[in-house]
Amino acid sequence: IPPGKPRLTSCRSPEKETFTCWWEPGGDGGLPTTYALYYHLENSETVYECPDYRTAGENSCFFNKNDTSLWVNYNITVVATNALGKNISDPVEVDVVYIVQPNTPENVTAVVVHDEQGPFVRVSWEKPRTADTRSGWITLLYQLRVKQEKDKEWEVVGHLYNILHMLVFLVLWTTVVFYIPRERSLWIMITIFSVFIVLILTWTLNVKRNSVKLCLLPPVPGPKIKGFEKQLLKSGKSEEVFNTLVIQGFPPTTDYDELLVEYLEVYDNEEQELVLDGKDLSEDCMKSKSPSDSDSGRGSCDSRTLLLEKCMEGREGSGSGSDQHQYSQHGETSWASTESSESQGPEPGSPESADGCGKTWPVVFSSPQPQTHHHYQVGAAKPAYHSVPEILNHSSPHTTPSNYHQLHHQDIPQQEGRFSKPACRHSQSYNQFNLDGVGTPAPGVPPSPSLEYVEVQRVNPENMLLLRPLSDPNREPEGLDCAGEDYSKVKEVTNNILLLQRDTSHQCVDYYSQDLDNQADQCTTQQPPHPCKPAVHQSNSRMPHEGMRVMGNGYVDSTVLMPSY
Amino acid sequence: MGLSVPAVAVLLVVLLCLDPHGRVGSAPICAHGSSGCHVPSLADLFDRVIQHSARMHSLSNDLHSEFEQYFLPSKNHIRKIYRKCHTSNILTPNGKENAQKLAREELTEVILKLLMAWRDPLFQLHQSMAHQQDFNSFSSNKALEMGDMAHELRKGVEKVAEKMRVLGMLGNSVTGLSAAEAMLPLSDSGEAMSDYELLYCFRRDSNKVQNYLKILKCRIVPEHDC
Repeated sequence: IPPGKPRLTSCRSPEKETFTCWWEPGGDGGLPTTYALYYHLENSETVYECPDYRTAGENSCFFNKNDTSLWVNYNITVVATNALGKNISDPVEVDVVYIVQPNTPENVTAVVVHDEQGPFVRVSWEKPRTADTRSGWITLLYQLRVKQEKDKEWEVVGHLYNILHMLVFLVLWTTVVFYIPRERSLWIMITIFSVFIVLILTWTLNVKRNSVKLCLLPPVPGPKIKGFEKQLLKSGKSEEVFNTLVIQGFPPTTDYDELLVEYLEVYDNEEQELVLDGKDLSEDCMKSKSPSDSDSGRGSCDSRTLLLEKCMEGREGSGSGSDQHQYSQHGETSWASTESSESQGPEPGSPESADGCGKTWPVVFSSPQPQTHHHYQVGAAKPAYHSVPEILNHSSPHTTPSNYHQLHHQDIPQQEGRFSKPACRHSQSYNQFNLDGVGTPAPGVPPSPSLEYVEVQRVNPENMLLLRPLSDPNREPEGLDCAGEDYSKVKEVTNNILLLQRDTSHQCVDYYSQDLDNQADQCTTQQPPHPCKPAVHQSNSRMPHEGMRVMGNGYVDSTVLMPSY
Repeated sequence: MGLSVPAVAVLLVVLLCLDPHGRVGSAPICAHGSSGCHVPSLADLFDRVIQHSARMHSLSNDLHSEFEQYFLPSKNHIRKIYRKCHTSNILTPNGKENAQKLAREELTEVILKLLMAWRDPLFQLHQSMAHQQDFNSFSSNKALEMGDMAHELRKGVEKVAEKMRVLGMLGNSVTGLSAAEAMLPLSDSGEAMSDYELLYCFRRDSNKVQNYLKILKCRIVPEHDC
């Protein structure tokens, strides 16, 4: 039979001037087999054969100084040939600079020397002969390890290259030797020793200070509702308290073209981390929000802030913008609604009006700057509630876009049944609210100014989010059914991005978690064109989160639960 | 007692809080050795730039492995990347003998050319990494630091060259690099290089710079560490 496939096991350079590669045969098939090594340099088609099969022994190839080039990739293969055929190994790419492994130190001796202070061991060695440190071509670091004969593990003695350690050690011992009276030496030495330990810990912590800070002190903005004073509550005057929660002028009865979010952007994102990593958004929209904005609870339905005038200069057309947000990972569907009067610059999905100014309906919370806290635990995020008022009544959830808010997901592969996206989605999905019909009442539908709450009914296989007014008689009973997802809970808001939370009841948790696991596996095994973020905080996307409360009739709980970072 | 224990402890805390892997800070270099100002010797300058280049290379190594680890799952998979690095036009010695054959001026010039060629691409790399959400902020901070280091290193090497010229060690053939030397990271086909390619190329070039600096140092000031 033809020979088995040989395999290159390792390549190594002892001094960064020559190198050797070894391979192991794959089985000779019972016949005498010869091996040949071929290589070519990167960006070159010329194939060369190994110059020296002998010097380094059996199944090896030695490249001498003339054949060795540094900072160039060698593409090496081994071919095994016998009378019946041949077999080629998988190619291996090698850059000599990265395979340097010096030879061992030479003439290592350890001598016990007796001194008036006691015996000690002097270890001496010489540098390996092949390493050229004289010209600076190689820099060698030595490390001394010691173990007693019966021990299993070697321990490192002194860190010869790290002068700082030596310095610390020296200073400590100087202190001990010179400044401590002999009688109390024991106590003081214990103190010094513990101080030493503390300092070492401090130094280690300092080196890792970033990760420690993130671990111990994730920034947590406290919950707060604007206009809601605890004092009022304590004083027992409930009327005053709840008056502040009443929204003046809501529902709005003004002209339609002043009203409401005309564009809602929905895009895919992974966990919230990525959303909050949206630096581009934060630059555009949050510039004016000062870091000192401590009103973390802002977002209640205060009338003054609700209808905000937003003037956009140089805005692009409403239809464009699919490339403006890049959200390249999987995740739940989320809504983005434009909000806040302080946003500047063109914003896709902002309402268009003739004069360039539009009122928007911020139904989401502003949040403090996320840019300083990117790598936080997603699991700490708490959902917030919102309501999306609907302009027009309509009877059926399947009418044309002009009267109905529909979300179109683009670029989402079809999934049967459950709406779940594969973990490694990379396309940017741009979902636009088609509000072309806003302001022109549909035929047959009275332009009633009444507004009502809607809830997300479900996401159909075309990846459309279907909204349904809460007063819809066709509505299913309140209980969450596992067959569909309930998207009425807002997970969190940041940067004009409203994250809807796919809510499942407790019995659905396992089902969903399983889904996530599979998706996560997909993530690591595929090679996505637009790569996945490492799912470090996978567990955080498990649901449900604590703190989610649904009022009986589906209305929003006015308590604001802010996302935490 | 002379120095009390608490004072020593405070000293130690200060010492230990200095990050041993931290950046090499820049101290003002005195022109005329005014009092109280320590004029660093050429050996000191060399040590600084070598430390700097070591740190820069280590950053590029870290970024490159992070990239590989997260975005390219199989390590020995044949990568189709190897478009030429944009610095492949710069002739660099590819071995010890070739490096030693180069004159000091030429070697210094090669180092400066490499560093100059990476000025803009590193900035672009940081911008690109900062805008993508694939990277966490640590990575893009590293990229920023790397770009800064390359800039500082280039300034440092220019100072070394200046000092060598003053000491008469260099001929006058090392000229200041004009802006024409700054290159765009375009491959042969003219497309912009991807982040991975930039990292791959920079890792290699930073290794070259580190090696050449060490050779230069041991040739010029061979007193210690050589």
